[in-house]
Amino acid sequence: MSSPATVWSYRTLIVNLAQRELKSRYKKSFLGWAWSLINPATTLAIYSVVFGVFFGSEAPVAGNGRTTAFALYLFCGLVTWNFFSGTVNTSISSFTTSGPLLTRTYFPPECPVVAGMATVAIQACLELLILIGFLVAVANISWTVVFVLPVFLLLACFAFGIGLVLGLGNIRYRDVNYLVGIGMQVVFYLTPIVYSLDNPSVAEHTAVVKFLKLNPMTTFVNAMRRSLWELVPPTAVEWAVMSAWATVSLVGGWMIFSRFAPRVIEEL
Amino acid sequence: MSAIVVEGVSKRFRLQTDKAHSVKELITRRDRSADEQHFWALKDVSLEIPEGSMYALVGHNGSGKSTLLRCIAGIYQPTEGSVSATGRMSTLLELGAGFHPDLTGRENVYMNATILGMGKKQIDASFDKIVEFAGVEDFIDSPVKIYSSGMYVRLGFSVAVHVDPEILIVDEVIAVGDAEFQRKCFDHLFELRRKGTTIVVVTHGLGTVQSMCDGAAWLDHGVLQMTGTGSEVAAAYLQQVNEAERRERDLAEAAVEEEPTAPSGAPAPRRAEDVRIDRVEFVGADGVPSNFAIHREPLTIRVRYDAVRPVDRPVVGLAIHSASDVHLTGTNTKIDGYQIDRVQGAGYVDFYMDQLHLTPGEYEVTVAISDEFVQHNYDRRDREFRLSVREGTHQAPEGLTDLLGAWTNHQSD
Repeated sequence: MSSPATVWSYRTLIVNLAQRELKSRYKKSFLGWAWSLINPATTLAIYSVVFGVFFGSEAPVAGNGRTTAFALYLFCGLVTWNFFSGTVNTSISSFTTSGPLLTRTYFPPECPVVAGMATVAIQACLELLILIGFLVAVANISWTVVFVLPVFLLLACFAFGIGLVLGLGNIRYRDVNYLVGIGMQVVFYLTPIVYSLDNPSVAEHTAVVKFLKLNPMTTFVNAMRRSLWELVPPTAVEWAVMSAWATVSLVGGWMIFSRFAPRVIEEL
Repeated sequence: MSAIVVEGVSKRFRLQTDKAHSVKELITRRDRSADEQHFWALKDVSLEIPEGSMYALVGHNGSGKSTLLRCIAGIYQPTEGSVSATGRMSTLLELGAGFHPDLTGRENVYMNATILGMGKKQIDASFDKIVEFAGVEDFIDSPVKIYSSGMYVRLGFSVAVHVDPEILIVDEVIAVGDAEFQRKCFDHLFELRRKGTTIVVVTHGLGTVQSMCDGAAWLDHGVLQMTGTGSEVAAAYLQQVNEAERRERDLAEAAVEEEPTAPSGAPAPRRAEDVRIDRVEFVGADGVPSNFAIHREPLTIRVRYDAVRPVDRPVVGLAIHSASDVHLTGTNTKIDGYQIDRVQGAGYVDFYMDQLHLTPGEYEVTVAISDEFVQHNYDRRDREFRLSVREGTHQAPEGLTDLLGAWTNHQSD
């Protein structure tokens, strides 16, 4: 069992693993780092056109009382989602990529997952900076932007716990990878990212909305939108819900991981 | 003091099958524990490795050596028992473990050294040494996927030994390098041991075990067979390997012979090898065999053999160990360029020395007869023949051997 302190003592290794991942990711590619931005930009463009233009989704009026650009509203949710799904997916792949290492030298097996999450966090920061840049351009920014950081930290804990368990499960049962692929799609649409729960055509299905609000990601996305779009602090209930999910996921995930990791990793 | 204590360690593995990897199985099979296949790689192994010693694990493939190494390194957790190791540990378990093929040698050195617990400043300080030792200066900024396997292992080894470990664990990887590099590796291992590093190696090179290791353990199918000094264990292991081979050969031949008539279940008649060593005689200047010899006097080592069947071009070899366990010398007819065309029936081979180099003391002589490629031993008698060397008319020098040199002085006035 590796305690958080043990993992911390391996921080140089974590930094190196993350660096290795980042360095090797765009080796031999012409556009290199630009890819890390082209990818989300394309997603954003597609969703904006499909949902904003074809389906005519509308964004609620932003905190500055004027802006209603659907693409920006979407971007707020997408950044949050990308960080979550990125962390879970990297956790799964990080065991496969660091497998040869784990079976040949000793270090806490949490390290590659933490390193994977670090690379995703860097990506998320880039996206966030661009988003904030746009928000500044449309003059929809306020001091509430500081809440982005704690929301992201709670989201990181939440995603990390899930990632640990799924990453471990994937070693023994490769089905996990495929299940996660499908599950992520389902949860994506169960989270108000490409739509808003306040939208009248959504809000009229009260039962559905109630159900959607049980989804932890709904709370995370809403909290982000409050800080960046509505320019108000997330509500006390939202803080409580996010903290609870983050704690349950992190503690539970870590415990399950510590219990099973030594045996499962032998099968890498 | 012991650097590593292994106490009653057993390690069980789940046998992996392709099927067991789906969720469907997880749900449909009710009693999974019943038909899960297990395999005990180690069974109740206990040993202690003293601090600052060089310790070897020997055994045939699949005997659990590598599993034991991984348990010591903390990669595997023993199913039963415990392992305790005190000191900073560095492991070299596989060729270039942890090298990322797309990253350059430089990047990988940093990566690998970090895994082994080195800080950035330490790596900066020893970086040049690491690269120089590995001899890959020209390629250090190229991705390691273009490296040859030798370069790969050299760089890996170099990193592992330069992290200044207190315990170094090396699996059978050094064998990949060329002869020159292997020598360099062993020199370096020796140097580390001199500085007090505890070294645990898995090796098939029994010569290494004999000459370099303070202690050794022999594993067979996960069971500890014996522990002892390097030469004790190497000798015992070798003997067992030879016996097993002979048994196998006997069985095979017996099976062939019995096939036509013998009823099954009849004991297989034991057959002698093609050539057997009858005895060894030490013949001095007087031409009479005796069990002692005299320093600086002529001596013939006479190997009497009995060839049941004719054998072409056999090689006869001998080796001498001192009572203090030092392997003094070993040679054979092939090394000395003497060809025995064919042996048939009884006969003897003489090894003549006009002056015996050995200083007075007790020695053990090993004799072997093998095929022309020195691959298969027809017979081998490991240190079975005792030879006492006595002082002659010439005063004996110190040590084990007499160089038989002559002194001269040359004044340069």
